[in-house]
Amino acid sequence: MGEEILRMEEIDKSFPGVHALDHVHFNLNRGEVHALMGENGAGKSTLMKVLTGIYSKDSGKIIYEGKEAEFHNTREAQEAGIVIVHQELNMVGDLTVAQNIFIGREFMSGIKINDRKMVEESKKLFDRLHIEINPTEKMSNLTVGKQQMCEIAKAISHECKVIIFDEPSAALTEKEIDDLFTIIRDLREQNMGIIYISHRMDEIKVITDRVTVMRDGTYVGTLITKDCTKDDIVKMMVGRVIYEQPKEKSLVPDDAPVVLKVDHLNAGKMVQDVSFELHKGEILGFSGLMGAGRTETARAVFGADPKQSGDIYINGKKVEINSPEDAVHHGIGYLSEDRKRYGVVVQKSITENSTLACLDDYISGIFINKAKEKEAAETYIKELDTKTPSADQLVVNLSGGNQQKIVIAKWLVKNCDILIFDEPTRGIDVGAKNEIYKLMNRLASEGKSIIMISSEMQEILRMSDRIVIMCEGKKTGELKIEEATQEKIMDKATRDIK
Amino acid sequence: MEKFKNSAFVKKVGFNRIVLAGVLILMYVIFSVAIKGFLGSSHLMGTLNYVYFLGFLSLGVTFVIATGGIDFSIGPVMFCCALISGYCFGTYHVPMAVAVILCILVGLLFGMFNGYLVAYWDVPPFIVSMASMNIAKGAASIFTKTQSISWPRAEEAGGWFRSIVKVGDFPMGLILFLVGAAICAVILNNTRIGRYILCLGSNKEAVRLSGVNVRKWLMLAYVICGILVGIAALFFVATYTTVQPNYGDQYNNEAIAGCVMGGTSMAGGLASIGGTVIGVFIIALLQEGILALGLAKDVQLIITGVIVIVAVYADVLARRRRK
Repeated sequence: MGEEILRMEEIDKSFPGVHALDHVHFNLNRGEVHALMGENGAGKSTLMKVLTGIYSKDSGKIIYEGKEAEFHNTREAQEAGIVIVHQELNMVGDLTVAQNIFIGREFMSGIKINDRKMVEESKKLFDRLHIEINPTEKMSNLTVGKQQMCEIAKAISHECKVIIFDEPSAALTEKEIDDLFTIIRDLREQNMGIIYISHRMDEIKVITDRVTVMRDGTYVGTLITKDCTKDDIVKMMVGRVIYEQPKEKSLVPDDAPVVLKVDHLNAGKMVQDVSFELHKGEILGFSGLMGAGRTETARAVFGADPKQSGDIYINGKKVEINSPEDAVHHGIGYLSEDRKRYGVVVQKSITENSTLACLDDYISGIFINKAKEKEAAETYIKELDTKTPSADQLVVNLSGGNQQKIVIAKWLVKNCDILIFDEPTRGIDVGAKNEIYKLMNRLASEGKSIIMISSEMQEILRMSDRIVIMCEGKKTGELKIEEATQEKIMDKATRDIK
Repeated sequence: MEKFKNSAFVKKVGFNRIVLAGVLILMYVIFSVAIKGFLGSSHLMGTLNYVYFLGFLSLGVTFVIATGGIDFSIGPVMFCCALISGYCFGTYHVPMAVAVILCILVGLLFGMFNGYLVAYWDVPPFIVSMASMNIAKGAASIFTKTQSISWPRAEEAGGWFRSIVKVGDFPMGLILFLVGAAICAVILNNTRIGRYILCLGSNKEAVRLSGVNVRKWLMLAYVICGILVGIAALFFVATYTTVQPNYGDQYNNEAIAGCVMGGTSMAGGLASIGGTVIGVFIIALLQEGILALGLAKDVQLIITGVIVIVAVYADVLARRRRK
């Protein structure tokens, strides 16, 4: 390991309502692969965005090559030698490999683009990485793994000294991952500093020299990888104090009937052979890391996305659900994780949003019965304690928590028996969070059945009667609340499926 | 000013509408001062005649724009309706009542065609309407063997249809247009279809995820537009008698201008029938005034173009402020 190339000290960053980074430390040496780990929302991405100039820090210091540095955008960071290889590839499919690598800084001869020179330079880059890719190939003809290697080639073409890999293995096959590791080792030999963000525990053990763990926007600690075990890292990731008491035991009687049964559901890559049951009056938690396939499962059950195979039973009867229309007809309501895009029509009033799922019930003759409609909206404003001057208020003027209540009201007006809450408390403040929790508990006690997808461990342990854990599109475990611990859940959520 | 903006009356009618009505009155005053004899009934009739057909076109396209879509085929489709049904009356001697129904039916078919492609095949509305504009021109041209078609005069057989515009000296067209606009306003604000159109124009995915069959309602917006275009065609021939193949493009812009001026958002989700009505009057008055001033039609084209840009930019600004 070489000398220090990068040090971040006391980095602080707040967004409205969220303290995203709380005096975080991080340092990186030349010739080192340094893992950055943490749960969803721990602050890894924010820290990297501060480093590469996408966000500006509120306070703290970045010391790069011995000098204090501040980048205002990715281009400045790139010019200084810090590049990021994103999880999503940013490639133009119809251009060739070489054209993609040199996009925005093409070699010119006069006013003509010098394609030959770009091909030659690309070849040199690939030689340096010891990989074989034809630079004249169209990008869209390459596999995802090869495309990623082109991203890496593009990164090193900037004469970089620090490369950040943001979950590079998420879309790769095992063979491709091996190739990727060979390249990363090569780059380490070339004395570059490498930051490696990943959730896969065994990869961390194989490829990295040190691990820095973050949690809730704070720095937890740094370990030498070869001296620690997977358990050590997991403990650091989850070891927070639980402010709210987790549920001690399930509130659902053992003989509660099954209201929803999902049998061997397959939908794309993110939902593979998922089966589970939901009982009457139960809150079933869905836990897992980002990209585990929980939202995709919910959307497939709800008919929002097509499914390839699998059966859905409601109250023991097999049903066909091919669209949200079918799902709503069978009494399923879905609260999306992205409220503004998928939950509410922000330019319309609370009343109009409240009756959107069951407008048919508010029609007299051919006209909408606006008085009846408003009455329903007002009932649920009172019931859910929504803060608004009137039911005519446009939803855009409400806070996040109150918007969420409007979405809930929509499904309650429709009188759905099965409710899917996808990250119900994301982006809303603590007070509103507690209200949503209370409401969910009340709904469950009234006999509604709830699926709650959450990336917050606390929330899962506090609310669920039973927990389903998913990882990379598969169900990797199911725990009763009595036996569930943070460690057990994290272990299943990071289990690698070979 | 703020107090005025927040008064109950202004909120109900809409600030934009009040300003627009002010503009309309101001224009009338200016034309009356600038042009001798503009106050006379002939210019008033000229304006109203233009209002009728353009008004129905504009009402139709309001429904489409409310969904966040656009229809550039309305002008040529209107001509296609009038040409095909007029040809049937003149050459195949179908009764006038049948010709009238046929005229609306052709509009309906184009509306269904556009709506189906947009809603069920997800073809962008811009492309669909550009294509059907050409189809409408081509079809009408082939059907009538590139002849222009003249509809019967009031005193000729079948001329009764002209009473939709004028009964004696009574401007029946104005009454029918205002009734039509009122019906459109009720559809948009008080029925399920209007509610769904406005909501899906604002956030289609949220409406779909509420269990609504968005494709059906999206298509219906184009169908309503088609029917109104067919009706517009009847008013056109009842006032101007003759239609030629390969015409009609200019009316697209004027109808869209009337609509967006009235406060219907190009981004979808917001629409005002009252605004469209005032907008149509402004366009009609403008064209009559320019004609009376002895300026070329081209001047009007330029002004209409500028109006569309200003109106849409005002909407963009309003939305930016809301964010």
